[in-house]
Amino acid sequence: MTGTTTSQPLLSVEDFSLNFSGMEKANLIDGISFSVLPGQTLCLVGESGCGKSVTSLALMGLLASPPARVKCGRALFNGRDLFTLSERQRADLRGNEIAMIFQEPMTSLNPSLTVGHQIVEGIRRHNAVSSEDARARALEMLELVRIPAPEKRFDAYPHQMSGGMRQRAMIAMALANSPKLLIADEPTTALDVTIQAQILALVSRLQRETGTAMILITHDLSVVAEVADRVAVMYAGRIVETGSVEEIFSDPQHPYTLGLFGSVPSLGRRTGALATIEGSVPPLEKMPAGCRFATRCPFADQRCHREAPPRYEPTPGHQVTCWYAPLEDHVRAA
Amino acid sequence: MLKLIARRILVAIPTLIILSMIIFGLQRMLPGDPIQTMMAEESDPQVIAFLREKYRLDDPVPVQYLAWVGNVLQGDFGRSLRTGLPVAEMILQKLPITVQLATMAMIMAMLIGIPAGILAAVRKNTVLDYIANAVALSGMSIPNFWLGIILIMVLAVSWKLLPASGYVPITQDFWLSVRTMLMPAFVLSTAVAAYLMRHTRSAMLGVLSSDYIRTARAKGLLSKTVILKHALGNALMPIVTLSTLLFGDLLAGAVLTEQIFVIPGFGKLIVDAVFTRDYAVVQGVVLFTAIGFIAMNILADVLYIVVNPRLRHPQ
Repeated sequence: MTGTTTSQPLLSVEDFSLNFSGMEKANLIDGISFSVLPGQTLCLVGESGCGKSVTSLALMGLLASPPARVKCGRALFNGRDLFTLSERQRADLRGNEIAMIFQEPMTSLNPSLTVGHQIVEGIRRHNAVSSEDARARALEMLELVRIPAPEKRFDAYPHQMSGGMRQRAMIAMALANSPKLLIADEPTTALDVTIQAQILALVSRLQRETGTAMILITHDLSVVAEVADRVAVMYAGRIVETGSVEEIFSDPQHPYTLGLFGSVPSLGRRTGALATIEGSVPPLEKMPAGCRFATRCPFADQRCHREAPPRYEPTPGHQVTCWYAPLEDHVRAA
Repeated sequence: MLKLIARRILVAIPTLIILSMIIFGLQRMLPGDPIQTMMAEESDPQVIAFLREKYRLDDPVPVQYLAWVGNVLQGDFGRSLRTGLPVAEMILQKLPITVQLATMAMIMAMLIGIPAGILAAVRKNTVLDYIANAVALSGMSIPNFWLGIILIMVLAVSWKLLPASGYVPITQDFWLSVRTMLMPAFVLSTAVAAYLMRHTRSAMLGVLSSDYIRTARAKGLLSKTVILKHALGNALMPIVTLSTLLFGDLLAGAVLTEQIFVIPGFGKLIVDAVFTRDYAVVQGVVLFTAIGFIAMNILADVLYIVVNPRLRHPQ
């Protein structure tokens, strides 16, 4: 389950750039690369607006185009480039081999259809089964996600269920066709804290049991520590650092990663002020030509603003894009 | 559900009372004397006095009102001052004509307006959307009398495709009846179709950007299913209500269209009645139309619940 297995990646995103028409000056997503191995969990972390959700929607093929436009790059899923498939081929993959859970359980289910119908519909779209068989499968899924009295819930409308129950139903819907890849976009953010833990435990248990690979988008680092195999840290449309969860937590190399992890309060006696990252993400048209973090980075110099930083690999699989890597040299010097 | 219908009907009662007063009051304010109109050149004072007595025109207005309401509640709308026929009978005679015209117009409006609205929303900001909007604007702004006359000239006079005017009872010859009413129904439907198109478009746009549409697409459903089942299913809820109200409008007001196409419906009845100061008929028709309109309002409320699971199955 760690990044050291040598199996072929299930999904391999290579140098993927995307922009929106009307904002061609800088790419919203700018040359990101990452891969997900079968059964593995990749956590995509970063602050709001850094492009995590846009990336996942682009992978699903759910971005309206125009205005969104894939500028370059590939996303090889089982060897097929998602970005070159026809709309019909993508629809055949969606909800079948690649499924997605969204952030907002309260609004993500159709209010005028029963929950059961919405699950059955997804099953029958991709499998030639009778409605009885689809219903049986849907009930099985509702049971699997621990929805009490599934027979009764099957005929319930979304408004008759709580947020946590709706998210469980969403999970049942997403996993009904045993996808190879599950994309979960902040699936617990909108829920109560107690429910968050339950849903998260449920997702990662089901993921382990079914062998589904997962891309989990989150800004909650405790979640990352709990479920991730690999982590990709995003800042302003670029991946600044990627590595195994151990590497990212114990040996963060990018100043942004460092700041991100430093701004998490821990229990126990506080020895100093919480670390914060000064300033805010510059608007896309004011992005520096070099490193996009340069405007807020405590280490940044002229070169950082002007020239794109090189990729540095402290250990195989751990990559950081920064002029100042390895950071230790400079921290010690300072 | 039954409780709700009962409550709506109760709420409608005060409306009806106020409405009946207004109808009655306005009539009495109209200039001109009905007896004068009836008598035309002849003017025997004795006959006039007899008639004023017979139709209780010399009683105080409130007494006249109460007498009228009492009769109406018993189904007696009075007798026409002009023809002497019972008003209720005159209304019932015209009712099927107007109902047929309104129904045909409504069906045409829905067949044109709703698909056009869906298309405009799905192809938002494309040529198709602009055309649909321009046509809708024309539909709303072209006067019915003009469109009616043009259609008669082109379709009936020049091309001889449809009968120019008149009315054939539906019981007598179904197809001829429908054909005869095709043009007036279309003329009447244009404004409603435009209205429905606009509302369908904006309702669809609202729904299409919602999270559950994204979920439906994430399931891999085809565009057709997403649009017609997931989006339209939700966007239609307000459209159903709106259509019912618009149907009420159509029942009430086809005066001009009926005049142009010489259809002996409600509109013609009321125009003739107003010109001859036929109080009883005007009151009867207006009251009847108002009741119909209120009934449509109640129906709209009920339908809204029927199509909306959130109201149909409370938590």
